[in-house]
Amino acid sequence: MQRFNFPVIQPDPALEELRADLQAFLKQERDAGNFKPEPECWMASADPEFSRKMGKRGWIGLTWSSQYGGHDKSALERYIVTEETLRAGAPVGAHWIADRQHAPMLLKHGTEEQKLDILPRIAAGECYFAIGLSEPGAGSDLANVKTKAEKVADGWKINGQKIWSSGAHISHYMVALLRTSPADGRNRHVGLSQIMIDLSLPGVTIKPIVDLSGDAHFNEVYFEDVIVPEDCLLGEEGGGWAQVTGELAMERSGPERFLSSYITLETALWQLSGKLGSDSQARLGKLIANLRTLRGMSWAIANLLDQGVSPETEAALVKDLGNRLENDLTQQVRAMLDDLPSDQWSPDMRRIMNIGVLRSPPNTLRGGTTEVMRGIIARQLGLR
Amino acid sequence: MINTEGMVAETAAKIYTDLCGREVPHKAEAGEYPQALWNALTENGLPLAWVSEANGGFGAELDEVVGAIWASAQAASPVPFAETLVANWMLDRAGLAPADSSASFAISGRTPSADIPFGMHADKIVLFDETHQEISLFDNRLAVRSPEAALSPDGMTQFIFSGHVAEQSARTSLSRRAVEAMILTVRAVQMAASMETALNLSIDYVSQREQFGRPLSKFQAIQHQLAVAASECAAATMAATQAASAIIRHSDDPEQAWHEAVIAKVQIGHSVEAVTVPFHQVHGAMGYTQEYDLHHHTRRLWAWRDALGNEHHWSKMLGAELALTSPDQIWKGVTTGHWVAS
Repeated sequence: MQRFNFPVIQPDPALEELRADLQAFLKQERDAGNFKPEPECWMASADPEFSRKMGKRGWIGLTWSSQYGGHDKSALERYIVTEETLRAGAPVGAHWIADRQHAPMLLKHGTEEQKLDILPRIAAGECYFAIGLSEPGAGSDLANVKTKAEKVADGWKINGQKIWSSGAHISHYMVALLRTSPADGRNRHVGLSQIMIDLSLPGVTIKPIVDLSGDAHFNEVYFEDVIVPEDCLLGEEGGGWAQVTGELAMERSGPERFLSSYITLETALWQLSGKLGSDSQARLGKLIANLRTLRGMSWAIANLLDQGVSPETEAALVKDLGNRLENDLTQQVRAMLDDLPSDQWSPDMRRIMNIGVLRSPPNTLRGGTTEVMRGIIARQLGLR
Repeated sequence: MINTEGMVAETAAKIYTDLCGREVPHKAEAGEYPQALWNALTENGLPLAWVSEANGGFGAELDEVVGAIWASAQAASPVPFAETLVANWMLDRAGLAPADSSASFAISGRTPSADIPFGMHADKIVLFDETHQEISLFDNRLAVRSPEAALSPDGMTQFIFSGHVAEQSARTSLSRRAVEAMILTVRAVQMAASMETALNLSIDYVSQREQFGRPLSKFQAIQHQLAVAASECAAATMAATQAASAIIRHSDDPEQAWHEAVIAKVQIGHSVEAVTVPFHQVHGAMGYTQEYDLHHHTRRLWAWRDALGNEHHWSKMLGAELALTSPDQIWKGVTTGHWVAS
């Protein structure tokens, strides 16, 4: 009996055709100067125009039905799109979150009207979502959320504050975890619900938070007597905790957990072509072995998810290993670049490397910190 | 995930369960060789699993056999089962009859001697001679064997080939890379299985051992160490599975599986320290004793990561190869497992 379940999937030629189309598009866009590649592009590089181009080509909303503007494809095709855009460091941040988690959430819990209204706009690359989990007093201790939704005559009245909401300033909606009834004694997991909030409603205030590099891609979002219609409750009233933890488990194993910094390696490899010393070659060998292995794990999980299996432990393992690898990659590439005098680095190399270093701290925080991941893994091992 | 279904894997698993309980590796190390275990394996023809039917074996699919290797490593096999499988596969690929007893293997290029795992226990040694593109069978019992201070209880022996006459010898179409791919894949499967077993031992130990009035498993410092080790174990299983899958896919031309096998070697070799350190740490002094079982796995892991070149050697080999290809080819390999030799 083996403890970990990672099936090996044989290559599928149809997926490789899709990959080739993506590569051609991304190269053309980059060569035309329509984007500059960046590490962590799925979080920090948002460009609505680029998202609309992706939408036009049918590369957003791959997995849902054409009835809702989707493309009736599998999660594996979506995986190819995500890994190719990450590799290219393309500005996919505007639509990423809506495509990854909120559209599936709406498909599962939304009303027919919401699905018909919102999903086609997401697939077109025109409608963006922000995540509303963290609050000033609720980070890793997520169950401590205080923002409240009260039932009122015309729906839900929301008061409170969310924080660290990436892309909220360009998003149309937020799906927030809110307290809809008090905790049951020490059981704080009851009484939490997920509610979709139109961010253009009166009473919503979005304030940018500037990160250490001067970029402003995440926000504080305040709610003051914001009224949303009753049907904006997604899923079960009081069932928010189980829904959120289930979703988090699904999204921990994607390629963005280990490929966010790949653009740094690839840029360096073009720069260092023919100049890699033996020490750098050894670093390259190890990095590629690690990347190939993690890609195998992440791809295996994508296949399991596609078959309706949710391997929570494996997903947490991938996130912990992957986040470590992303940061290690940046450091290994720094060392490899010693083979080329720094005055010979291209401006792109320096820019990408510096962005990579500056954007490394949140890798091991978002989507559940390293410490939270290890707690989950330990529980699965039977240690907690 | 290593395939553990099928007759070969299930038969091997049963034999190891019945005849290689936890006391067997201890006794073997004290000099009591588990002949009954070896006899059961050979009576069932298992060491001939990869030998073609024409050559007296039963030509099992490669993936039916990796599960047998997994079972043997889980049990800390003190007999050279995986080694004999590989040795017989090499003989078969030169059109030679399989060894009639236990065997181990070596690759020789320019040097006259080689490090042989199980060198003190294997009756025969199969040598791949790259220079002459030959596979040869030697009688190990006639050799001057020098047991070195070995890491593993299975021992590592220097065998001086020059001056010894091979019992059989034939040209082979196998390339050095094909032989390396096979050996590295088998080792990867053994190492992943051994790591997982040592993880299980560690989990059991910290769940039972109490300090400061509660089980060690309740301390977050312990939980996190084992969580990190578990992720390395999972990656090892993945890497071994990928390598096995490649060699199964390319069973006619194992050289094509070289990259995936080397990747497994590098991935798992680098993980050995990341798992054996916490495994020993959480076991405290108990894990350092001969009496306890942990070292049956950790010592083999330390030996296997060195066998045929350590993880640093293979990182360089892989990196040197990749440095000659384009970043586009590297990406293709990472995403599809399709690697082009430079």
